[in-house]
Amino acid sequence: MSLRLENVNKHFEAFQVRDIDLDIREGEYFVILGPSGAGKTLILEMIAGLLEPDSGKIHGTENRNKGFIYQDYMLFPHLNVFNNIAYGLKIRKKEKNEIKRHVEATAVKLEIEHLLTRDVLTLSGGEKQRVAIARAMIISPDIYLFDEPTAALDRNARVRTQELFVKLHKETGAIFVHVTHDFEEALALADRIAVLKEGRILQCGKPDDIFNHPKTKEIADFLGYRNVFGGEINDFRMTVDGIELMVPKETAEFAYIAIKSDDIIISTEKFESSARNAFKGTVSNVLKKSSVAEVVVDIGIPLAVDITRKSCEEMNIKPGDPLWATFKVSSLKVFEHK
Amino acid sequence: MKFKIIFSFLGLLLVLFIGVPILRMLVSADPGTLAGTAGDAEVYSSIFLTLRASLWSTIAALISGVPLAYLLARKRFRGKKLVEGIVDLPVIIPHTAAGIALLTVWGRHSLLSKATGLNVIGTEIAISMGMFFVSVPFLVNAVKEGFKLIDERYEKTAVTLGATPWKAFLTVSLPMVKKSIVSGSLMMWGRGISEFGAVVILAYHPMVAPVLIFERFQNFGLKYAVPVTALLIVISLVIFIVVRIFEDK
Repeated sequence: MSLRLENVNKHFEAFQVRDIDLDIREGEYFVILGPSGAGKTLILEMIAGLLEPDSGKIHGTENRNKGFIYQDYMLFPHLNVFNNIAYGLKIRKKEKNEIKRHVEATAVKLEIEHLLTRDVLTLSGGEKQRVAIARAMIISPDIYLFDEPTAALDRNARVRTQELFVKLHKETGAIFVHVTHDFEEALALADRIAVLKEGRILQCGKPDDIFNHPKTKEIADFLGYRNVFGGEINDFRMTVDGIELMVPKETAEFAYIAIKSDDIIISTEKFESSARNAFKGTVSNVLKKSSVAEVVVDIGIPLAVDITRKSCEEMNIKPGDPLWATFKVSSLKVFEHK
Repeated sequence: MKFKIIFSFLGLLLVLFIGVPILRMLVSADPGTLAGTAGDAEVYSSIFLTLRASLWSTIAALISGVPLAYLLARKRFRGKKLVEGIVDLPVIIPHTAAGIALLTVWGRHSLLSKATGLNVIGTEIAISMGMFFVSVPFLVNAVKEGFKLIDERYEKTAVTLGATPWKAFLTVSLPMVKKSIVSGSLMMWGRGISEFGAVVILAYHPMVAPVLIFERFQNFGLKYAVPVTALLIVISLVIFIVVRIFEDK
């Protein structure tokens, strides 16, 4: 049975979602991607039955267990790890031995069996996360609902958690609905993604489709594309703010292009090459990070360019410097509307 | 360092302001009269009546006040500000006025009394009512603040795990506000013990400790009022300290 949201509208406190239509297939890993405040949690809480839609219908949730995992885990602070995990079984008045067996087996699966007697306040973020998953898992959910589950974790723990989700999804065969603002996480996990902004779904599809064909500049920005420009394309040329860029494709209508920031070469002199796009500009900003430096070159339009920190220091680039920016036509990505 | 000294100094002023008069009174109690008072059955029965009546009022407030505190902390509804205003009112109105207000509903000539034949005035129930009226805001407000601090998503999580709203409340929210409930109850109970104004109007007899102290002061003077006061303070202090220790565990 698929999970279907039909024209769902909800206004709750400061949040709002409008005209949500989703058809999430059985066993699908579905990611709702959107910035904070987009209404993602509202959708999850409606699927969980914690909130009623103002209008519209949700199908495929009746009599099915839902495992809800909040970003900050919501482990009950007055119960230890064992009793947190056991909660769903105790509510169901299961027998003591059965609860014990079940909790222990689940803890082993999530590699937290050594934590069972611990106070939840003493756990690390990653450990809390696993306890929260174990607590949800124990009631064998048909639908797992993850609300920004990795947002509070450090990088390593986040990657391990994502691996765990993939494994769990495979093992349980349940529907996973996962909301996040992290597009890399969405690309890594999702069978399909819905991009949500200000309460509306802007685009829904397979990760590749969305990544390669973002419908709007907003989505492209959100997917981490840099240097996104829009305009009409004529004779393989797009004019943006008076600057004429050579592009690899003709499209019938208005289109967006993106230039990856590490596909642009910067140089002090113009050089002969096969690259068709070469523009003189001025450095407007330099931001040095651990190994990369982001240089913004104003060629009439601002171009963000990533170079190594080492070359930035060797070339002694600073704001106000005149520089050339060169990039190949083929490195340009043209987003066509499908 | 300076910061610590100034804060300690200011705090010390407050503690001394309260502590010195109490200490003065305790040491000024005439040993002979104190011994007499300690053996005085009327004093004991009065003190225990006070503790007991305040306990009843606190229990009644737990039963009705915790649900109200929950609603005020969690729900938005029409007239919420009005309800909060009504709950806070006993803190600001003179307690004799509170007693008189109660008398208009529960007094011998009130409609309720005429209709039901109930007569509570001058009983332990009336004492508890007076105490309840003036001290219930301490409990409701403490528990309300406690509930406000607890993320609603704990309960939501419990519901997704199969709990009914009742079960979620009993197994998650309530244990999480235990501290607020204990300290709110303690505040209310303590406030009830000290109540004079409302109680004296509703029940001069049986005599609660504050009324007894007042009466001994009126009839026999300071010398006889002090030992009763000292005894009440010592007993109350012991109970307060014991509950605070228990609460931290």
